[in-house]
Amino acid sequence: MTAIPIIIDCDPGIDDTIALLTAFVSAELEILGITPVCGNQPLDRTVRNALQVCELGDRTDIPVYAGCFRPMFRDPIYGQFHGKNGLGNTTLPEPVKVAESKSAVDFLIDTLTAAAVLQKRVTICCLGPMTNLAVALRMKPQIAEGIEQVVMMGGAYREPGNRTITSEFNVLADPHAAHVVFASGIKIVALALDATHQVMLKPEHVAQFSKVSGRISETLAELMAFWDRNDVRRYGSRGGPLHDPLVIAYLLSPDLFETQPARVFVEHESELCMGQTIADWYGKSGLEPNAEIVTRVDADGVIALFLDRLSRYAEEVVA
Amino acid sequence: MSLQKVIIDTDPGVDDAAAILMALASPEIDLLGLSVVAGNVPLSDAVANACKVVDLSGRDDVPVYAGAPGPLVRDQVFGKYARIGPFGHDFVTDGNIMPAGGHAVDFIVCTAREAAASGEKVTICAIGPLTNIALALMQHPDVARGIGQIVSMGGAFAALGHRTPWAEFNVYADPHAAEIVYRSGVPVVVMPLDMTFQALFTQRHFERFAEQGGPAGAALFKLFTTFDRSDVDRFGRPGGPIHDATTIAWLIRPDLFKSRKATVGVQVTGFTKGYTYADFHQKMNLAAKATIVTDVDEEGFINLMVERISRYGRVAPPDAQSLGG
Repeated sequence: MTAIPIIIDCDPGIDDTIALLTAFVSAELEILGITPVCGNQPLDRTVRNALQVCELGDRTDIPVYAGCFRPMFRDPIYGQFHGKNGLGNTTLPEPVKVAESKSAVDFLIDTLTAAAVLQKRVTICCLGPMTNLAVALRMKPQIAEGIEQVVMMGGAYREPGNRTITSEFNVLADPHAAHVVFASGIKIVALALDATHQVMLKPEHVAQFSKVSGRISETLAELMAFWDRNDVRRYGSRGGPLHDPLVIAYLLSPDLFETQPARVFVEHESELCMGQTIADWYGKSGLEPNAEIVTRVDADGVIALFLDRLSRYAEEVVA
Repeated sequence: MSLQKVIIDTDPGVDDAAAILMALASPEIDLLGLSVVAGNVPLSDAVANACKVVDLSGRDDVPVYAGAPGPLVRDQVFGKYARIGPFGHDFVTDGNIMPAGGHAVDFIVCTAREAAASGEKVTICAIGPLTNIALALMQHPDVARGIGQIVSMGGAFAALGHRTPWAEFNVYADPHAAEIVYRSGVPVVVMPLDMTFQALFTQRHFERFAEQGGPAGAALFKLFTTFDRSDVDRFGRPGGPIHDATTIAWLIRPDLFKSRKATVGVQVTGFTKGYTYADFHQKMNLAAKATIVTDVDEEGFINLMVERISRYGRVAPPDAQSLGG
């Protein structure tokens, strides 16, 4: 089997870090690059965190390209659950690795243009606000031809929002970018709060993960412990929803996910509902579906998948 | 006056052609390149037209970069004269200029970041929808730091609109991009319809282009007499504006204009999208950042324009000029 070529567009971020660490040890995925964006943290932080996570996971071979430093139109907002530096209370060593001089937007345009020519389409994993991809699409719409699919974490359909009443953070942080991507005609798999709230990373899981994950176990346990929302009223248990890692889990094991096609609209005009994602489940808009929305997740299966992958850090490092 | 480094961001366009030709005949301006955007006409036509205009000027050292093919968020609209498409051979002869490799947005980003590093800032003369500039500003904070000013033909205040009752075309075509530019912190000079409507060119001015301006002047004559801008009902007298060229005049002869400082903004959504407001009377209590050009010395501007275009006649051999250009 040939590996799936992917670009990980992200804003690390604790859950982004877990997603990256999982992707790093998954031979099914060929990571062409990481493109941090302004999101959970300001850009300089998300770039630095991405570099540090590459070093933590011994994948300094993966190039990191700095993305847009602000959303397309709105003023930046930042995440609330990632601590001061974006990685909770975890302090990783000052990175030696540096970001590439090429920008994330140019990397996307160049890579996807080549992918279209070679007919070797690339999957874009969007774990943060979709500014980089939207800006690239606005500069050169033809890059859509080089994209196999966008698997994105963001939005909230039957669930209420997690940042405002109606809106999930990644979409709210750049609703105009989300609108651009959803209007682009590219195949999209949407992992919204409807899906991610089905997979809670509970304290007992944290203990399991730290037991199996070898050389990253201490850091992983620290990151995961910080992730506990401690909000049983909302989530039905202790722990925190495993948002971003589900994108990687979906690529590794799509059979663990049920999806339903729908036309998705992103509210980018009304202040009250800014960033709301609306799915036309029953064809009222008269428009064709533009996304597969994940409706059900096999939570036990996903946790088992992550345990399996992260246990690979207990194995010897292959130089 | 020191030489100004300028990028013209443009969607040619008849007015754009006049503005570009005026800039290329002006030794005060060091034109680094043209960044082309979709606007009056689709991107491919705008790029072809930009190449033709540069060819017409004889300045094949000026690169033309293709930029964004459509607006950031809203649905695409073209200019009232979109049917122009690529300038026909009858108007502007086909030349040999090809667009440069690379994207217009990257050209702006690189030029501005180098300018930020060197301290010698670049001026952007924006005479189309502001899409390219907005896309450039998002990519690195140094882009804004490297731009000394953005001279933007766009907006309408008391004059009301020319594309919709309330909106000027460049802003209407990409209101989000305009708002991004206005809020960017870069000094912005707004050249609205209120001012561009004050300088009306008539047949006799276009004839002077044709008589004195060599092949470039002849092309402008044909373009302006075919795509007539006059609107006696609106302007109260004959003649039509050459909106975009006012930006070049502002760079060369700011003394021909009057301006005020005010906060400006754009309605980006809804029925009135593209409406620009200026807080002339400090109702918003914000530090007024934009310079809004309110008045132009009509005669001074027209004379300057005619004089610059006539330079295309002067560079030709004297005998060719005497043949009538």
